[in-house]
Amino acid sequence: MTPRRRRRAGYAFVAPVAAFLAAVVVFPLGHAFWTSLHRVRGLNATFVGLDNYRRIFGDDAFWHSLAVSAAFTGSAVALHLLLGLGLALVVNELRVGRTALRIVFLTPWMVAPAVGATIWLWLLEPQFGVVNYLLRAAGLISAPVAWLGEPGTAFAAIVAVDVWRGVPFVMLLMIAGLQTIPAEQYEAASMDGAGAAARFRFVTWPNLRYLVVVASTLDLINTIRHYDIIGVMTGGGPAGATEVLPALIYNTAFRGNRLGEAAAIGVALLAIVLALAIVYVRIARPERGEAAR
Amino acid sequence: MIRPRRARTALLWSIALVAALIALFPFYWMLNTSLKPASEVFVSPPTFFSAHWSLDAYANLFATRSIGRYFVNSLIVAVGSTLLSVFLAALAAYGLTRFFPRGATPFVMFLLFTKMLPETLLIIPYFQLMSDVGLLNTHFALILAYSSFALPFSVWMLIGFFRSIPREIDEAAMMDGATVLQTFVRVVLPLARPGLVAVALFTFLIAWNSYVWALVLTTDASMFVLSVGIANMVGEYRVQWNELMAAAVIAALPVMVLYSLLERHLVTAITAGAVKG
Repeated sequence: MTPRRRRRAGYAFVAPVAAFLAAVVVFPLGHAFWTSLHRVRGLNATFVGLDNYRRIFGDDAFWHSLAVSAAFTGSAVALHLLLGLGLALVVNELRVGRTALRIVFLTPWMVAPAVGATIWLWLLEPQFGVVNYLLRAAGLISAPVAWLGEPGTAFAAIVAVDVWRGVPFVMLLMIAGLQTIPAEQYEAASMDGAGAAARFRFVTWPNLRYLVVVASTLDLINTIRHYDIIGVMTGGGPAGATEVLPALIYNTAFRGNRLGEAAAIGVALLAIVLALAIVYVRIARPERGEAAR
Repeated sequence: MIRPRRARTALLWSIALVAALIALFPFYWMLNTSLKPASEVFVSPPTFFSAHWSLDAYANLFATRSIGRYFVNSLIVAVGSTLLSVFLAALAAYGLTRFFPRGATPFVMFLLFTKMLPETLLIIPYFQLMSDVGLLNTHFALILAYSSFALPFSVWMLIGFFRSIPREIDEAAMMDGATVLQTFVRVVLPLARPGLVAVALFTFLIAWNSYVWALVLTTDASMFVLSVGIANMVGEYRVQWNELMAAAVIAALPVMVLYSLLERHLVTAITAGAVKG
């Protein structure tokens, strides 16, 4: 084939995706920026410059929501990592049943977040929910708790459900990472008389550190954008206690019907995600990644 | 030496089993509740097993609600997104690895960027644009939306797969007189099958499990997908929890079945890239 014909063949393969992504990602994204500069009322849009940004940054609701997002994302990601790494270490040590356990642990992650959240609504139901029943039977609480009715417990509840759902993903990455550590390194450490703690510190951790950083950045990006669990369980309430940025965007756009302001908040969230993404790309260099084999 | 080892294994297993219990108990409770008669749902203390398990809640659910319709909607949207996304991703990944090996890197960076966009930002223009062109309440709008965010990952994964297939194989096929398209369809695609299966499965699950897009892009109850239909039942005045949990079983079961059959493929898909650095 001549170089020219090769080139043409190449374009024929890549063009459909490029056109598709331009239509369904690039154009809508541009449109979102456009919306953030307009006041939208039904079919009418008036250009208002940076008014929407001025308004959201001058509004306590935005800063409150940013703080809720930071607290939610920070605590959920920390728990994902801690429990995910812990479970990965446990599963990796077991001789039998590893695949079965992996399937079991991954189930909460496979099921739709909206469906998982619905199940938890029933578990946490104040009067007939099984969580209150178990806690009372164990003597940990004396009266039923309306988990989603109080700001503090509602926040704890959405973190707990997100942890239930998010740990498996981190665990899976960590198991994959642990399996790449050469057995000889552990053998050598044992020969030198290293105990379990020393083996973790001098063999496991140095090998895994990079992956932990990559996984936590990736998990931060995923968690800070997450809406479904909160949307189903609290919608951002009570009194805004669980109104993370994605919930604020949704509520502003589709409950408050202020699309321009919602888009401006969305652009602010995008900026945060991009900052994290740059960190991720610098550390992980995923473009070199040989994907699965 | 044997004693401590056994104690350690016992400890590890007890941690693993407690974790497994926490992971699975909500699903057991979903199933348990869905099998209870309505009268037994609101009793205290709750029953962990029931002598009266039956499929009444399922029968009621199908009789009084459009759950079958939601299921079909979910299925159409998920299958449609999978077909579209795998088709486009395979073309792009092949084109990039074979014809523009250097262009692959910037393109992948762009894909990564699109993979990280916040959904809640994109649903605003999607809502506006789809209502402008009259595509609200259509399967097509959802298929476009799901493909748009499954595609970057799919292309990224398939690039890895196609790279691992030696180019000499293509060249040999072309020497034998095959056209580019024939080489792609008859020679390379069959070799990339594990990758295609993983990508298809991943896209199907993303589309099946998605919630907020369908929440915004469908307003007509006959177009609801399962996740939206179920979340809507929560808002009702008096929630019938046994029927709601039956609906959750119907939404979760296909995922669990697919997943347990194809676990290996999916694990490959999830860990791809992140682990290989």
